[in-house]
Amino acid sequence: MQVQTTRFGTVEVDDSRILEFPSGLLGFSSYTQYALLQPDDDGLFFWLQSTEAPELAFVVTDPATWVPDYQATVRKEQMEELSLNTLETAQTFVIVNKYDQTLTVNLQGPIIVNLGNHQAMQLVLADKRWTTRHEIVRLTSQERLTA
Amino acid sequence: MLVLSRHKDETIMIGDNIELTVVDIRGDKVRIGIKAPSTVPVHRKEVYEAIRKENEGASSFNKDDLGEIPPPRIARFN
Repeated sequence: MQVQTTRFGTVEVDDSRILEFPSGLLGFSSYTQYALLQPDDDGLFFWLQSTEAPELAFVVTDPATWVPDYQATVRKEQMEELSLNTLETAQTFVIVNKYDQTLTVNLQGPIIVNLGNHQAMQLVLADKRWTTRHEIVRLTSQERLTA
Repeated sequence: MLVLSRHKDETIMIGDNIELTVVDIRGDKVRIGIKAPSTVPVHRKEVYEAIRKENEGASSFNKDDLGEIPPPRIARFN
């Protein structure tokens, strides 16, 4: 499908990259469909682009890359909502934010995707180990040049 | 806002299937038991708000702010 975006113009997205968020993201409940755009083959970061609001997009990443011991607890009823039988067919993403020259990830509000049916939801974790602003990268001019 | 007084172990019903019970009161801290259908998400408001606020901040990420993250390598039409 074609997706209008303010950041990248009009992009053609394969249906296999479309995710449905029946409840939306917290604070954005009226937007329920996103395209997962992959910057390059081995990219660490993806854009989660709304297919409904051209200006609405988030940068997301796989938390396992940054926080090896990270675990998002998915409750039974949440698995049911996603029609997930096993977590082996689920993928976790976390939303990236930027404060000054530091990239942070929101470990307390991860996104779980059922890779089978592309249904997704944002969780709210009660575990106090995981914060909304976990630092992952401090950007230096050198890193920006090489990325 | 509706304000109700309750003693310890007393309950408030919300609709037919949500119950809030005052389990314990100690100083300025109240422990509340919540019985709700599994389909009703229950969160501490400050946690919910923190995530909502973080989403809001993250949604205004723009490509130029993020020169270090390459744009998607996909077909473009304009």
